[in-house]
Amino acid sequence: MTNQPLLEISDLVMHFRTSQGPVQAVDHVSFRLNPQRAVVILGESGCGKSSLAKAILRMLPNNIGAYSGKVFLNGTDVMSLGDEEFRRSVRWVQMSLVPQAAMNALNPVIRVGHQVAEPFMFHNSAQRKQAMELVKQMFHYVGVPADFISRYPFELSGGMRQRVALAMALVTSPSLVILDEPTSALDLLTQSNIMNVLKRNKAELGTSYILITHDVATSSELADDIAVMYAGQIVETGDAEAFFGQPLHPYSKMLMASVPRLRTDVEPDFISGQPPSLISPPSGCRFAARCPSRFDKCTLEPPSAIKEWRTVKCWLYQ
Amino acid sequence: MANIAYSQRSSTFKRVAVYITGRLVMMFATVVIGVFLTILIANMGGYVDEIQRGIIREDVSQAANQNLSLRSLTSEERMHWVNEQIILREKQLGLDKPFMVRAVKFMKDALTLNLGRAQRMTSDKGSQMVRDIILERLPPTLILFGISGLLLFVVEIWIALGLSRHYGGFWDKLFVFLAPASTSPAWFYGIFLILIFAAMLGILPFGGMMDAPVPDNWVDYTLSLLRHMILPLVAVTLSQIFLNTYNWRTFFLIYSNEDYVEMAKAKGLPSRVIEREYIMRPTLPTIITSFALTLIGLWQGFIIMETVFNWPGMGRAYFQAVQFFDVPVIVGMTVINAYMLAITMFILDFIYAILDPRVQVANQGGNQ
Repeated sequence: MTNQPLLEISDLVMHFRTSQGPVQAVDHVSFRLNPQRAVVILGESGCGKSSLAKAILRMLPNNIGAYSGKVFLNGTDVMSLGDEEFRRSVRWVQMSLVPQAAMNALNPVIRVGHQVAEPFMFHNSAQRKQAMELVKQMFHYVGVPADFISRYPFELSGGMRQRVALAMALVTSPSLVILDEPTSALDLLTQSNIMNVLKRNKAELGTSYILITHDVATSSELADDIAVMYAGQIVETGDAEAFFGQPLHPYSKMLMASVPRLRTDVEPDFISGQPPSLISPPSGCRFAARCPSRFDKCTLEPPSAIKEWRTVKCWLYQ
Repeated sequence: MANIAYSQRSSTFKRVAVYITGRLVMMFATVVIGVFLTILIANMGGYVDEIQRGIIREDVSQAANQNLSLRSLTSEERMHWVNEQIILREKQLGLDKPFMVRAVKFMKDALTLNLGRAQRMTSDKGSQMVRDIILERLPPTLILFGISGLLLFVVEIWIALGLSRHYGGFWDKLFVFLAPASTSPAWFYGIFLILIFAAMLGILPFGGMMDAPVPDNWVDYTLSLLRHMILPLVAVTLSQIFLNTYNWRTFFLIYSNEDYVEMAKAKGLPSRVIEREYIMRPTLPTIITSFALTLIGLWQGFIIMETVFNWPGMGRAYFQAVQFFDVPVIVGMTVINAYMLAITMFILDFIYAILDPRVQVANQGGNQ
């Protein structure tokens, strides 16, 4: 098979234990990502987007409950690897992460240059000197002045820290980078700068991205594919162009309608109501309570329908 | 690359140097104030002078009464002689100058370790010099509290790391449960330990630092010293270890939930590196502070500890000096104590400044 997917996730489940019962943060999620493509995972806060990132990278919290499913990365099922094997051969070797809050993602008492060099030194068993040389190049690549190498995180602005985190994610040139709201706390200029770096990196090195965001407008710049997440499940996947042209799932439609547009008189709409609790989600379609086009069948678990290379989890398309 | 490494080193050096100089000045001021206050208190704000004047007057009058050669003088002449003698004796002791002037001189002498003569105490070798008394008593104290402090520090960190790794396990629960046991002071445990191991079981000595005929070869000497140190060490350990370990294990737990630790895990760093660089390093400044406080606590408790264990150190000498009201010894020991404390704090501050790059950033004007 020539076009083997870079990442294929099937039936990934991650639940957290709480005193009120398990939180179904990631519930039977499946999607695939081809090499050199960027998938954007869209969804509102608390829908399990960041948990999905953690589940893929096996960053499990203390109160982890069920954790199962299959994650194929470059053809190997990484879920079956032991922890040590996973650390050596997957983490930062094949996939890396740009965290949501780069503010706290850097160790306050270690110089940023060293922190960026660390993964390269450990995974490529490189000498410090060689690693620092690479860090210098990476800093230049993401737009951080070279003399920042010897600074401490508290001496950097928020935008600079985010760039450092980006440099850190790219330093071992992994084939997949997971970006967890990488630009959400930044101003528009820095946002577009970082987006440009990401685009350039993808074009030049063929890196794939999983971009997790609630920001439809920014994500559209980078997206090849879209996956819409709602209440721990993926409700729609598809090609970005087709999705932005015509979203299928009622949730996706309303999500897109809530985005302000240039050059039209259409007022942005909003989605009324609250997402359901992930501890005891409704038994049928999880969006049913807020859905304008619900009908009787919506109390049953909806199937994943396939329409024109797109999947949508809704009874309307059955 | 080389110049970056150089600038890293020089910036660290500058930062630490600025910080250390500031601390040095502050600490010296603290020592000066502390010593001056001790002099004031030990002299009861100058009232001891009055007592001494009274003693001189009484001595001289008695001498005058007993001096047969003075019997022939008239009472006025005798009064004159007495007054002259009193003035002479007061001048000898410096009592003719106002107390404050002398207090400042005392302080200068004390700070330059020109400690003078004891009034009543003598060293074991028979010297009356305060300096000799202190030099004789300092090593036992340093041995006991230095060793127990450092040993406890290392052991506590090691245990705390282990506990935080197995959070909620049996040992973790046990240490949390036993933490209140550390609210009692070391001498409290000391009394019970002496009762059990010396009085009842008879396997360890009651106190002291050496067997009665001092062993002449160094192996026996060391063994005897160690045997005598067991009970004090255990007492200090019991009074410190549970609470400190509990404290530090909690620090480690809090710090191991930081985002950068998560990030380090995601980066695929080996767990020993994560533990050392991402959990220990950021917590060390806090731990050093806590260690400093523990050391001060040990210094403060040493008077009773040494008395309970009959340990021939500074603490017991201090206790004796207070009983004899031997002002030069009290002042001398306080000065040495203040210096020791200041040196301890200084060293710890130095380590702190090296460990934590955020120290004293404010002084560098944002460091842009």
